[in-house]
Amino acid sequence: MSFFGFDTTGPGRHNPAAAGFSQAHNPFAGLSNREDEGDALEFEETYDGLGDQLEETGDAFNDDTFGDTAGLDSAPVGKDFDFFGSTAKVANAFEEEHVRFARQQPAVKAAPPAPQPGPSHVMLQHSAFQSTSYGYAPQPTAHKPVRTGYEKYSNEPVAELQVDAALWGVAPKKPPQPSPAAAPAAQPVPAAASRKVLSLEEVEAQMRAQAKKAAQHATPSPAPQPQAPPPMHYDQAYEYQQHAQAHLPQQADHLRHDQAFAPGHAQQHVTILQRPHANQVPSPQPPTQPSGHRQQPSGSMQPTKILQNPNRLSGDAARIGVRQHPTPTMPAAHPAHPVHRQQNSFSRQPQIITHPSQLAQLSEEEKAAYLEQEAKRAKRNHKIFLMSRDNGIMTPQDKSFVTRIQLQQLVSATGNPNEHGTDESLAEDFYYQVHSQIQGSQRQHPNQPLNNFAQTYLFQTGSRQGGMRRHHRGPENHVQRMEQQVQRAVEAAKNKPKNKQLVIEGSLGKISFSNAKTPKPLLNIKRAENTSEANRPGSAHKHVHHGGDRKSELRSIERIYSTLMQMEDHDRNMPPPPSNDADNEAIQKFVTWNSEAQLLNNKLWESLRVHDHQDNGHVHPFIALMSYTKGMKAMQRITRHLTHEQRTTILTLIVVNLDSLEVVRNAQVTPDATQLNAAMRENVELFSVAVMSTLFTILNELDLDLVAGVLGLVCTRNVDVIGKSRIGASMLTMILSRAEIIKHGGGGSEQAWRAWDMTHTQFFDLIEPTLPHMFPGPVTAGDDIYVWQLLAALGIGASPDQQQRLVLAVKDRVMDTVALSKTLPADMAAQRLQNVNLFMRSIGLDVELLQ
Amino acid sequence: MAEARDEGSAVSEPLDLVRLLLDEVVCVKLRGDRELKGRLHAYDSHCNLVLGDVEETIYVVDEEDDEETVSKKSEMLFVRGDSVVLISPHARTF
Amino acid sequence: MENGAVTQGEGKDPSGFLSEIIGNPVTVKLNSGVIYKGELQSVDGYMNIALEKTEEYVNGAKRRTYGDAFVRGNNVMYISAD
Repeated sequence: MSFFGFDTTGPGRHNPAAAGFSQAHNPFAGLSNREDEGDALEFEETYDGLGDQLEETGDAFNDDTFGDTAGLDSAPVGKDFDFFGSTAKVANAFEEEHVRFARQQPAVKAAPPAPQPGPSHVMLQHSAFQSTSYGYAPQPTAHKPVRTGYEKYSNEPVAELQVDAALWGVAPKKPPQPSPAAAPAAQPVPAAASRKVLSLEEVEAQMRAQAKKAAQHATPSPAPQPQAPPPMHYDQAYEYQQHAQAHLPQQADHLRHDQAFAPGHAQQHVTILQRPHANQVPSPQPPTQPSGHRQQPSGSMQPTKILQNPNRLSGDAARIGVRQHPTPTMPAAHPAHPVHRQQNSFSRQPQIITHPSQLAQLSEEEKAAYLEQEAKRAKRNHKIFLMSRDNGIMTPQDKSFVTRIQLQQLVSATGNPNEHGTDESLAEDFYYQVHSQIQGSQRQHPNQPLNNFAQTYLFQTGSRQGGMRRHHRGPENHVQRMEQQVQRAVEAAKNKPKNKQLVIEGSLGKISFSNAKTPKPLLNIKRAENTSEANRPGSAHKHVHHGGDRKSELRSIERIYSTLMQMEDHDRNMPPPPSNDADNEAIQKFVTWNSEAQLLNNKLWESLRVHDHQDNGHVHPFIALMSYTKGMKAMQRITRHLTHEQRTTILTLIVVNLDSLEVVRNAQVTPDATQLNAAMRENVELFSVAVMSTLFTILNELDLDLVAGVLGLVCTRNVDVIGKSRIGASMLTMILSRAEIIKHGGGGSEQAWRAWDMTHTQFFDLIEPTLPHMFPGPVTAGDDIYVWQLLAALGIGASPDQQQRLVLAVKDRVMDTVALSKTLPADMAAQRLQNVNLFMRSIGLDVELLQ
Repeated sequence: MAEARDEGSAVSEPLDLVRLLLDEVVCVKLRGDRELKGRLHAYDSHCNLVLGDVEETIYVVDEEDDEETVSKKSEMLFVRGDSVVLISPHARTF
Repeated sequence: MENGAVTQGEGKDPSGFLSEIIGNPVTVKLNSGVIYKGELQSVDGYMNIALEKTEEYVNGAKRRTYGDAFVRGNNVMYISAD
């Protein structure tokens, strides 16, 4: 916002966006303008003519003076003076008046150069000021910004400002006391005072002054300088100038400084205000006196800003010299300048040479000295300006503080679980971080490395900030630094999950998050897979090597199934056989596949434990597998993947252990009606279906000599037990039948037949005692067909003698069955008789003969 | 062979025990004083089970603290794992 | 493996403890109050437990025995080595 209407974008301006320019006014407004701008105007009015008379040194007595003035007012001001209420009202009224006046007589402005304190005059000043400001905008004088810098810097740089003032010491601390006669000239002092304003007393004074004004504009108030009108408005300042109050800008500044110190911070604002004035004054000149401007400046651009004052001076001088009256083309405000200058020269020359507008009049030395000082001040101003750019928002320290806090929170939020001990707590302790920064970057923690994050990031940041701050480099880099830091924080956060993916270590061990497929384990149990079983303290596995260990049998079965599945899978992936010998790749594939298949076959064969030694008193491991339903069920699948030799071996193994088979050993028939329990019946049934058929297939591949050998193996076992079980009997039938089939097929060598006959005879002798006891339960039980089948098999291959022995052995059963059949329904009777006839016909008889 | 033996010998984790019971008749204790006896056809890591030829026994305590049992039979059951307390092989009866 | 360092310290770590007592007689108490005594065959991360030669105690009275017993982990209150 261009309060003055200046074109902030004009060349030479100092970063208009810096806000310093616009801000300059605000402080004033805050201090003195609470009531209204009008207050200021009115105040000035009161000053007119009277202010000059006041002595600056008499500030201490302001109160007294003020009190006097108050007394003069028609409305006495008591201690209970109302600062705001009535005063404000009056002030408003006045202001309105001023405005109206100004509008009505725009042309008049220039005319009244006279320092008449009258309200009209004030108004003129007002308008004039505005106009001048507008006219100014285009001008390249870039000095205004500098002043704005001052204003902004009001807070911290106070001390420096004071120093400046000291430097200015050249200038009289107090404005020259205009002769009482020259009322206008005397005003500079009040002007300066007004700018400072703002001690409570002063404010109060202003109020009173306003009140006075309200009483009578024309009547100059004796208000002391301290009461200085709210300096906020340039209008006022301008008025003063126009009134030829002889406040040379510089002097005014100096005065301000000096005075400002006494009252306090508020005064600084005042000083700021002055500059604008100064600017305005010189501004009109620019077109004509640009050369003067530039020459005077020390040369650097910074100085230019600083040079404002010099410009003014030069401008003034130029004006004085070149044109004593405002050019007609100049805005209405211009006319005032000449007056101003004249006044300035007037009042100041007598006082201090170094000052103001009369620079031209100074000697070279003086000029040089002045310029030097000017340059110094300018430098300082510039510095201050730079430093104070962001004043009122945040100091660099604030920013870094906030930054650190934010980062600290980031760090703690993403806290590094790897951290341990004191480092962690320190790193997450905000106060420690601050402390470490205060301690300085030189502080090292060789033995206490912070966590990675803090190390590369937070701590570094802290030290760096500290260093930079000292060098006044902070502010510009804050944003950039913040970006970098945030980036690092993000990266650190990204990296962290990789370390601990969804896995958190808890007191119970590794805890990982679960999903639908894998429920979350609570413990990470260490598997002692390498620990040999012997080392286990317990007995969990002590039976492993024993064939009778049920669990190991079950495990074997599971291994068999696993291997079977692998093999079946492998079979499905069998490559096509190589079409020709040239197809090396295909051949290679096939070879590889075969070798893999062989490996799997070996694995399966091992898991069958066919060659495991049989512990005493225990069933052979493989035979034990046949006591499990899943073991029996596996038979067909197993034999499919075995070689002929392996299959034969299995058959042999089973036969050799026939009486050990659970389905044989534990499924003995009894003469009474007791049935096998359901489970065993199921097992027997399953064995018949799953194993017997397989064995039958295997057996049918065997030649007579092998069949004789198998039968010979049976003879080594407990034939009675075998014969008294359905499975055993069926096995015998199967073996005998195979021989008969071979015989009918004309197979078998003579030698083999001789061997077979011998074996068969031996076997017959062994089985003969059992024959009457093979039947399951009483005749009424039925389900004895498998026994008749065995008898038939025996009878077919039996000698006449053996046949007779057979008949004798089972005669009772035959007769009972025939008898029973007569009591049974026809179909059942027929079935039973048919079963019996299997045997009868094998020996050349028929049940018909018995009926 | 020794290697193969070792591989299959250790119950490396409890669920391996359950695997050994596949196709075996098992006794399953459930929450709410229920027991199942049946052939284990399938299971998973949640102990969801598929049982065949199942006999379910529910232990009911009446007002006199006399425990009664109610039995149900099912040809096939799916048991949701979260109700399973214990699985053991059913004692062989032959 | 994460617990490796800790398990060296003799059963200070639950997993380590459980690993060490495998094969030993243990008492397992369930949330229902039922107690199983038997030889610990194995434990997994879900606290599923496989016991051998298991005896079941309900209200202090031995009720039945199991050759093997698989106890689903969510029911386990504690495992103690006898």
